[in-house]
This record gives sequence, C-alpha cells and structure tokens, in this order.
Amino acid sequence: MAGLKHFLLRVLTTLLLLAVPVLGVWTFVKAEEWGLWFPPIVSSYGAGIDNLFYVILWMVTVTFVGTELLLVWFVFRYSKRDPTRAVYTHGNHTLELVWTAIPALLMIFVAFSQMEAWSDVKLNFPEEGPYTVEKPLMEVYASQFDWRVRYPDAQGNFQGADVIEVPYDITVPADTKVVFRLKSRDVLHSFFVPVFRLKQDAVPGMEIPVWFEATQPGDYDLICAELCGWGHYKMAGRIHVLPKDEFDTWLAAKRAALYATE
Amino acid sequence: MIERCHRSAALLAAAALSSLACRFEPKVPELRYSLNRPAVDKNPDLAGDLGAQAQLEGALELMFGTPAGPRYLAAAEWLEGGFDPNYWGEDHVKADEAGWSALVASNRAAYRQQLAAIRAGEFDALDRPRFADDLWARWQALRADIPAGGPDAEYLTTADGQKVTWREEALFRFENYYPTLANSASFYSNQCYHCHGAEGGGNGSTSSFLEPRPRDYRKGVFKFTALKGKARPRHEDLFRVLTEGIYTTAMPSFRRFTDAQLHGLVDYVRLLAIRGETEGLLVSFYAPEEGLNFDNVRENYDLVVERWREASEFFITYAGEVPEPTSERIAHGRALFTTAGEKGGANCVSCHGPDGRGGGVSAWEPGKEGKEYAKDEWGNQIQPRDLTRGVFRFGRRPIDLFRRIYAGINGTPMPEHFGMTISENGAQRTLNESDLWDLVFFVRTLSTHSAVASHDGGHEREAK
Ligand code: HEC
Ligand code: HEC
Ligand SMILES: [Cu+2]
Repeated sequence: MAGLKHFLLRVLTTLLLLAVPVLGVWTFVKAEEWGLWFPPIVSSYGAGIDNLFYVILWMVTVTFVGTELLLVWFVFRYSKRDPTRAVYTHGNHTLELVWTAIPALLMIFVAFSQMEAWSDVKLNFPEEGPYTVEKPLMEVYASQFDWRVRYPDAQGNFQGADVIEVPYDITVPADTKVVFRLKSRDVLHSFFVPVFRLKQDAVPGMEIPVWFEATQPGDYDLICAELCGWGHYKMAGRIHVLPKDEFDTWLAAKRAALYATE
Repeated sequence: MIERCHRSAALLAAAALSSLACRFEPKVPELRYSLNRPAVDKNPDLAGDLGAQAQLEGALELMFGTPAGPRYLAAAEWLEGGFDPNYWGEDHVKADEAGWSALVASNRAAYRQQLAAIRAGEFDALDRPRFADDLWARWQALRADIPAGGPDAEYLTTADGQKVTWREEALFRFENYYPTLANSASFYSNQCYHCHGAEGGGNGSTSSFLEPRPRDYRKGVFKFTALKGKARPRHEDLFRVLTEGIYTTAMPSFRRFTDAQLHGLVDYVRLLAIRGETEGLLVSFYAPEEGLNFDNVRENYDLVVERWREASEFFITYAGEVPEPTSERIAHGRALFTTAGEKGGANCVSCHGPDGRGGGVSAWEPGKEGKEYAKDEWGNQIQPRDLTRGVFRFGRRPIDLFRRIYAGINGTPMPEHFGMTISENGAQRTLNESDLWDLVFFVRTLSTHSAVASHDGGHEREAK
C-alpha cells in the first residue's frame, strides 16, 4: 500500500517537473499566434538581428530541454522511499573540462557569429548614395522628453536659418540608406525603433552617426529606451516612411513652406 | 520550524491571491478649483472676509463649473447671436474646412480598430479608446439602442432625404469626435496638471523645478501668438503651442495625441484662463460697500470673454512674399539691431547685446546689473534670448520672426517694435514692415556659426 502511494507520488512529481520544459517550449511555439512575438521587420538589416536572436534561442532551447529532461529523469530514477545515505564523490576532471570547454566554445561561436550583424549596423555606413556620414539626411535631437528632427537647408547646412525643425514626427524615404546624426541636449536617451531592430544611445556631447534602410512605407513607433527622467515613459515619436519620390516632394514642400506668409 | 514554514507559505499564497484580485488602475486625483491666494491676500478687504471669499467661489462656480463639470454660463445674447462658449472650439474648428478634415483624418487613424470593428459588425471587439470617455459613453448609449432591425436599420433621415443607418451613425460619431469640456478637463488633469496646476496657475507640483516656469494662465497673458496689441491668443495659437511644444523649455509637444484631443485641451486652457482673468478682476476690484453684485460679476465676465472673442482681429497679416534677404537688407538690419535707441536705432542691442547673446545693458533688473535679469509678467527673471543659438520658441520661419519682432513677446520685456520711432540719415520716421524684414534677416544670420564669428570679431564659441 505504502509502496503504491510512493510510486504515485513519484510519478506525479515527475510529471509536474516535466510540465516545466513542456510548457516553456509550448509558450514559445504559440507566442507568434498570441501576438507576443516580434513586430514585423521593416529594415534591411532587421532579419540579421533577428537571426542572432534565433541562434541563441536555439542554443538555449537545446540546453534547456536537455538539462530539464535529465533532471526529470533523475527525479524519477533516484527517488527513494527509505532514507538512504548520500554517497560522496570526488570531482571528475574530464567531465569538468568538458563542461567548461563546451560553453566556452559556444561563447566564442556567439562572439564571432554576431560580428557581421554588428558591423552591418554600427560600422558599415553607406559610402555612396544620397546620404553619408558627412552628408546625413537629418539630425535627431533627444531631450527630456521630446524627439526633434532637423533637416538641413538646401545647401546641406544644419546651423543656418533655413533648417527645418519638427518635433515628434520624423519623415524618411523608403528603400534608401538613410544616415542621420543623433544628439542629446541633456541626459542619456536611446533611439529605439522596434520594427527597424535599431537601438542607439544618444549621449550628451556626442554626435553619433546612425543608419538604416526602411523597406516598407508606413508609420512606425519610436521610443526612448534609456531611462532618462520622470517623463521617460512618454518620450515617444513617430517615423513616417514615405516612398522615395513622395519624400522628395514632402521635403521640397516643407522648404517652400518656410517662406509662406499665412 | 514546520509551523513557520506553513505561515510563510500561507502569506505567500495570500500575496499571490491579492495581487490577482487588485488590478492596477492609476487614479486621477479629484480636483477642485481654489482661489488665487496671493491675489486675494493683496486685497485687504477680501483677505479678511471669509464670507465674501465663499461668495466669490460660488460666483466662479456658477460661471465656470468645477473641474469635474466645467461649463460656461452662456448669456442669452450670445446664444441668440449663435455663439455658445461651451462649443467654442468645436464651432471654430468646424468653420475651418482644412482644420476639420485634419481632425477627422486624425480620428480615423486613432480609432481605426473601432471603425473596422463597427464596419464588421463585431461590436464586442471594440477597444475602449484612451482619454475619450465621453466618446465611449456615446458609443455605448448608441449601441444599447440599436433596434431589432440591427445596425443596418434606419437611424434617421436627413433633411435632404438621405437615409442614415445605425452603423453609419456609429462610424460618424467616431470620425467626428470632438471632446466635451469635462472630458478635456480630466485629460488635462492627467497630462498638464502636474505642471500647470488645477486652476492653470502654473503652480503644479513639478513647476518649482522648472525654468522657465509653466505658464500661469490666470493673467490671460500668453507669450506665443501671431497677434499684435497684446491680444489674447487665438485658438490656432494655443493649438500650435500644443503641437510644436516650446523648444528648450519643459513644455513638450503633444503630437502623440489626436487633433480632437488637442483642440479640446485648447478649449479647456481657454476656460481656465477666462476663469482666472475674471477671478482676478473680481478680486482686485472687490470693495465691501459694493459686495459681489450680479451686475458687477456679469460685467467683468463679459469683458473678459469679449477680449478672447475678438482676438483674431489682431492677427498680424503680411500681404505679399517674403522679400529677398539681400546683403543690403542684412546690413541694414544689423545697423538697426546694433544702434542704440538714443542714436535712433531699433535698440535690440540694449537687451540682446552687441553680439546677440543676450547680455545687453537693459537685460538686467535695475540696480542689479550683471547679477539678476529683469523680471517678466509673472515675476520671474528672464534672460533676453541668446540669438546665436538659433532657438526660436514659436517657429523659425521668417514670418514667425517677423511677427515676433513686430509685436514683441507678451509678458516679457521684449517690446513691440512696429511703428517705433527711429532716425536715419538725420530724418525721423517710424519702423516699417521693410525694416522688420531686415531685422528678421539679420537675426537669422546670427544663428549660423560663421556669421557669429565674423560679427563679433573672433569669439570662438560654438553656436549650439
Ligand atoms: C513638464 C511641464 C509641463 C507640462 C506637462 C505641460 N506644460 Fe505647458 N508649459 C510648460 C512651461 C515651462 C511653459 C512656459 C514656457 C515659456 O515660458 O516659454 C508652458 C507653457 C504653456 C502654454 C503657454 C504658451 C504661451 O503662448 O504662452 C500653454 C497654453 C500650455 N503650456 C499648455 C499646456 C497644456 C494644455 C498641457 C497639457 C497637455 C501642458 N501645457 C503641459 C510646462 C509644461
Ligand atoms: C527690453 C529688452 C528687449 C529688447 C529691446 C529686445 N528684446 Fe528680443 N527678447 C527679449 C527677451 C527677454 C526675450 C526672451 C523671451 C522669452 O524667452 O520668452 C527676447 C526674445 C527674442 C527673440 C526670440 C523669439 C522666439 O521666437 O523665441 C528674438 C528673435 C528677438 N528677441 C529679437 C529681438 C529684436 C530683433 C529686437 C530689436 C528690434 C529685440 N529682440 C529687442 C528682450 C528684448
Ligand atoms: Cu529619453
């Protein structure tokens, strides 16, 4: 009788523990359906960034499922009704070497596999095309608790009288490599456009070049991803991606409107 | 040992349960309008008379309601003339076709989920819109009344015989949403109250940390208008402040909200300002012999509302195009800017300094030169703008600067310049539009680094 009770308890515990990896994996499988997964990708390098995530996700999934199953099996296999004395064992040198070397190799693999994506986003600025680091499309100013964009005058000056300044709404052309300078007027902020998979801190005193290529016209959220003060939560903006020719007409109209007198 | 374990397990379970039971809902504090204390204390007759103060509060509540139910008292003559202050903004925006279609477009974008659900007939799938409780209440009332014939039954027939279904009516209400004053008041308490205060006194809890301080609306003085003659702001002026923000001050841009919500806020700011101004008049003229009689109150209320109604008559228009900024014009602008008043110039130098950086001789409080800046209308120090920084708080278009220099900045030392007397080539004349353009073009050159360097002979400071 007592034996049966123990056996049932053993099975129950094992099943409960088994639920952890099963539920864990299942939420990931279902996440997309539940709308908990990533927003769409709207930049040229977004897929590369997501791939980094997936590589690591697969690595941890295999490790997670493997160790969990081992744990479940141990719980089932070594459950003893009668108290037995634990057995002491001294370390196993080979085993320790193996479990140090494998993660180290994995880390090196991660380090190398991200290099291309990193340099794509942060180092390889477009050298030709309408916008370059020397001749950016715009400057984006972060300040507590506003985003502002400044477009240069027709000669490309950012300081002159004819620059265009707009709060909140940042308009950019689609299918074009856009370079801009990111500045902060006060404290640290971070320029984060989830659909671009682009995140860059704005640092007071620095002019940081940033680039992206938007692949889909549309309106996308910009948020501040660095706690910057009490109003951080409302430091939002919007990116309007316009088809290339529409963008040019838009900018020309903006420039002309500078000289309106109404 | 075991008992302690049980107890902590029970505590944990209780904590888990209670966190499930209480949903987090931010509470908006219940606001009430209080009297403008410093103003009341200045009138000794009123300061000592609690009865009169209560009477004043009652009169104000009668005219303007409470934060939960703000409402203008509408005079019969106004209503007859087609003016209802309770629909001031809505009527105003509707009269402007472009403004209204922008409002409808912004509602369509903001409520696309609701519009799609109504079109699909999935009435249970509608999300409750944020900060639009009145819209939600109207929708729910409409929905409760949908007759047996369903949403495609006829709701009404218009005068020209067009049939409108319930569904079309529902779509119409979302697309043409314009908030009530009460809704805007609760929106204000959520977004503006902590800076501008319940009565718009510029004394919210955040205000003491800010420089410049948030605006005290109760004087009716607003800095950034396109008007001359120190007029009250137009609806458009306040709306522009809300969409653009006031750069380099704490006043942010509120573009993340819909046009309708911002127009509603303008309406509420106007109500607070009119309330504050009326209060100010009643408080300063209160005399115990007269008390607060009805005629007196009505007279002051009418006077204040009238000032706001006539604001657009003061709009500074300029017919024609912005002239070419030739080098002669810029040179002339520089001469006007840098020549002192005694020598017949436009005297900008006295405040903005010869280099435009804002340290001129008149920038200071008399007797405290170099230590304390002169005060603005609200009693705070204010520095004449450093024009080399290229920061223009109400727009950088030439026409914006033209209007700035034309009319000055209300409530600050920056004076009106149009029509001031200057003397040139030995002859006296008044500053005209062409001179204003020259000043505009010169001021605009100040904000480019190279122009600054050549202008003040070798200062190497970067224009920020
Ligand atoms: C973080 C503080 C802050 C918040 C929040 C804030 N304001 Fe302001 N506001 C200011 C400051 C500071 C000024 C004064 C700027 C100046 O004097 O140049 C100002 C000025 C104004 C003015 C006067 C403009 C003029 O022409 O004189 C209006 C109107 C106004 N705010 C409306 C609002 C409304 C409506 C809200 C809420 C939607 C709001 N503000 C929220 C700080 C704030
Ligand atoms: C009596 C002092 C005084 C004089 C004279 C004066 N200003 Fe100003 N000016 C100010 C102050 C103070 C401010 C800042 C107001 C503020 O920050 O709200 C200012 C602001 C400005 C601005 C910034 C406007 C904006 O949109 O932010 C401009 C441009 C300007 N002044 C131009 C001029 C010109 C041109 C003249 C001469 C024709 C002139 N000022 C004369 C005191 C003065
Ligand atoms: Cu921020």
